[in-house]
Amino acid sequence: MKSSTAVAAPSNSRFLFRPIRVAEFSLLAFLAVAMGLPLLFLFAGSFNLAPPGKGVVYGLGNWVRAFSDPGTLSALWMSFVLSVVRLIPAMILSVVFAWLIARTDMPGGKFLESFCWIAYFVPDFPLILAWILLLDPNFGFLNTMAQSVPFVDGPLFNPYGFWGIVWVHTSTGGIWFKVMLLVPVFRRLGATLEEAARVSGANTIAMLRRITLPVLAPMILAVSVLSFIRGLQSFNTELLLGTPAGIYVYSTRIYDYLQREPRAYGEATALGSVFLLVLAILLFFYWKYLSGNKKFTVVTGQGYSTLRVKLGRWKYVALGGCLLYITVMMVLPLVFLVVGSFMRRYGFFHIASPFTLNHWKNLLADPIFLLSLKNSLIIATVTGLGSVLLYSAVAYLVVSRRSVVGPLLESLCWIPHVLPGILLGLSVLWLFLATPLRFIFYGTVWGIALALILADSPVATQAFKAGFLQLGADLEEAARVSGASWWSTYRRILLPLLAPIATAVGLMNFGSALTSISTPVLLYSHQSRPLAILLLEYSFTGELERAAALGLLITAIIGSLMIIGRKFGLHLSGSD
Amino acid sequence: MAQPVLEFRDVSKRFGAVSAVDHVSFAIAHGEIFTLLGPSGCGKTTTLRLVAGLEEPDDGEILVNGAPMAAPRHNIFVAPDKRQMGMVFQSYAIWPHLTVFENVAFPLRVRGEAESAIRHRVQEVLETVGLAGLDNRGATELSGGQQQRVALARALVYEPSILLLDEPLSNLDAKLREQMRLEIRELQQKLKLTVLYVTHDQDEAMTLSDRIALVHLGRFEQVGTPTEVYETPATPFAAEFLGRTVSFEGKLVKNHSRCWIHLANGAARIALADELAMPFSGGESVRILTRPEDIEILPGGELKQNQLSGRIEQVAYLGDHFEYHVMAAGVSFVLEATKRQRFSAGAEVRLSVDSARFTIRPL
Repeated sequence: MKSSTAVAAPSNSRFLFRPIRVAEFSLLAFLAVAMGLPLLFLFAGSFNLAPPGKGVVYGLGNWVRAFSDPGTLSALWMSFVLSVVRLIPAMILSVVFAWLIARTDMPGGKFLESFCWIAYFVPDFPLILAWILLLDPNFGFLNTMAQSVPFVDGPLFNPYGFWGIVWVHTSTGGIWFKVMLLVPVFRRLGATLEEAARVSGANTIAMLRRITLPVLAPMILAVSVLSFIRGLQSFNTELLLGTPAGIYVYSTRIYDYLQREPRAYGEATALGSVFLLVLAILLFFYWKYLSGNKKFTVVTGQGYSTLRVKLGRWKYVALGGCLLYITVMMVLPLVFLVVGSFMRRYGFFHIASPFTLNHWKNLLADPIFLLSLKNSLIIATVTGLGSVLLYSAVAYLVVSRRSVVGPLLESLCWIPHVLPGILLGLSVLWLFLATPLRFIFYGTVWGIALALILADSPVATQAFKAGFLQLGADLEEAARVSGASWWSTYRRILLPLLAPIATAVGLMNFGSALTSISTPVLLYSHQSRPLAILLLEYSFTGELERAAALGLLITAIIGSLMIIGRKFGLHLSGSD
Repeated sequence: MAQPVLEFRDVSKRFGAVSAVDHVSFAIAHGEIFTLLGPSGCGKTTTLRLVAGLEEPDDGEILVNGAPMAAPRHNIFVAPDKRQMGMVFQSYAIWPHLTVFENVAFPLRVRGEAESAIRHRVQEVLETVGLAGLDNRGATELSGGQQQRVALARALVYEPSILLLDEPLSNLDAKLREQMRLEIRELQQKLKLTVLYVTHDQDEAMTLSDRIALVHLGRFEQVGTPTEVYETPATPFAAEFLGRTVSFEGKLVKNHSRCWIHLANGAARIALADELAMPFSGGESVRILTRPEDIEILPGGELKQNQLSGRIEQVAYLGDHFEYHVMAAGVSFVLEATKRQRFSAGAEVRLSVDSARFTIRPL
């Protein structure tokens, strides 16, 4: 052991605190520029009548034009209606699922839980395609089948329209994530509170009605509001299933403005700003509700209950219902996506040799595909690594250093949580266009990666924050006291301990970068087109079979990443 | 004994490979406070939960007032809500969305009682536990002691056949704990309650209980009044767990109907009362267990009957008394003594033992 390190420590630590300060403020400055400035630009831009990058002309023309278009208000209204309507069945189903898994003796709970975990990672776009393949009035498999049923003429199903959107959402975003959120809540909260009710003389139904649901109501409401706000950000389903039927939500309307020639930046920014205002008002009331309700502080019971509600014979009925749901909503569409990718002409089972490998061969030989694959890999890698570096630093400053700028950093990181991808894309685009940043970021993979890194901030920051909180300051301080420098503490103690979280965050952001459409859709150029956008283009041009193949490919990449990641993460944490 | 209120007949409960409750049988009479005392993880809480119906036994029979509540062999299991129990949970389990009044009224509401009767009864119980006037408080705005009273009121409101208390005082601070202990005892006397009490705190068990069951690894080591389990521990665990013990090794010698114990390294020869020596024939190696408070420290001098020589090794001053680390007969142990006598470290002393209070076991 060298005693010299210990002697050097006091002066050393004073020296080391300075770079931390510098790091704090540069991080704050970066996030403020990257998150706050685009929003400001977006808002200011809505009052600018000149196209971005040209001389500024202030005026209300954009707002007047946007709101004299009757489509604008109806698009905003439709966003809210759709988000509310599809929330209702999804919430009811998730509460039932979570309760069955966590609090009853229904068999297969573990399986259902892991199924929800996997289903959550299945990207939505391939699933939307799958539902089109199943339900399209002209070639949808279920409609063709229905033709052979007597008394049915004309297509039975039609995915294009309001209820189609609601249905497909129940399949894609639907209940998987909510179940994952609610199961632990049900597990933790219930135990003694429910037991006390039973001992006091309440039967199962009375207990559920008077204790379980009321106690969980604030949590369920919180998950609902969160889902509602996330639902407002939805883009893909509405684009593919709403636009053909003339149904617009605000995000597809913004997209529409920017597809016009010349691009209607003014109207798009005006609509975006209105939406942000409405969102801000909503969030204000939500937070007020949450902070005002001291009565609803969550009281956790101690321990896990071994007592589960006995369903008797009904437990098989319940399991059957759950299995039916996941089969119809997830397994069936995926199977037909596979079938579709191998069919010469989708839906034509009666022609000679209906199956072919051509779509896969064509896809893999397409130079555009290869370029897009390269772009996607660069974007996803940069996004994954970038978000790990950036947000572990933010979380470290917020948690371990209790940085003075911490709360500010944290609130900046929350912005993308409520900011829809399309608006994030639009505001970042506006920033790129109006500043010299355009030379590096406009239409390049770097611009897309930057936007995606910003979009990842809430989840990544929270994950790292939880990690640092769990580590506690002791471990780090013990290392420092033992004579390790800040850097070797970071390298030998913090990094290995956080490796599982870093791996998980990196992989998740890698995955979401691969599948995101709404964020890059306004930012890409022909040179920087990622795979997900190529998928969008295939489906626009009606090459559904090839789109199915590409969609499956993306799904397969995500799937294997998640499996490898779990193993890798587990291995690193040394828990096996 | 009249019809017991609660009876366990050879009840077992396993969790995987662990036997939480291992062939346990006991009976509680009406108006009795019966305490399950043991270290954490010994199975005492599981026993309580078996009574409440929150766990199902694997084997045996549980009867309340003679009626079977759980008997796996006869496929009988009465749901917790049909058992008429009152229970206070360690965490209190106060429902956070209900007021104090509604928390306490809940058992009556689910039994479909009339509104006026509920109002009357809840007020009465709240007064009994000293919470009158707090009806409309949110249950989570209460202090720990108040929450504890709400939990107690809720358990008492419908006059249960048995009151189950699961470490009810463990979340309170020391002063409040003492006060609540007295209040529970008073309440029990006044209402003639039958109580099954679970705790790991021996002071609580000693002061509250009519009878104590010492629980260890899922088995009842000893059942008896507080005096019985303390004064005549039936097993080494019972002796070790309750209070402190000092143990010496020696050889039991009998001659001419007199009985002696020679301590290991010849430190002393101790005369033994006949009834203690009865089970032995003489010549065996034995272990003597005694309580430290039964050993008196005397200044050094000539050894008399039932005295052994020792040496003070360390002295600790604890304000109201001294604590001496003493070495005697090759064994080191701690004795407490009042401030009236004072010995310094290194002093040679005599230790006077009370052989009538020995517990003797063959080695």
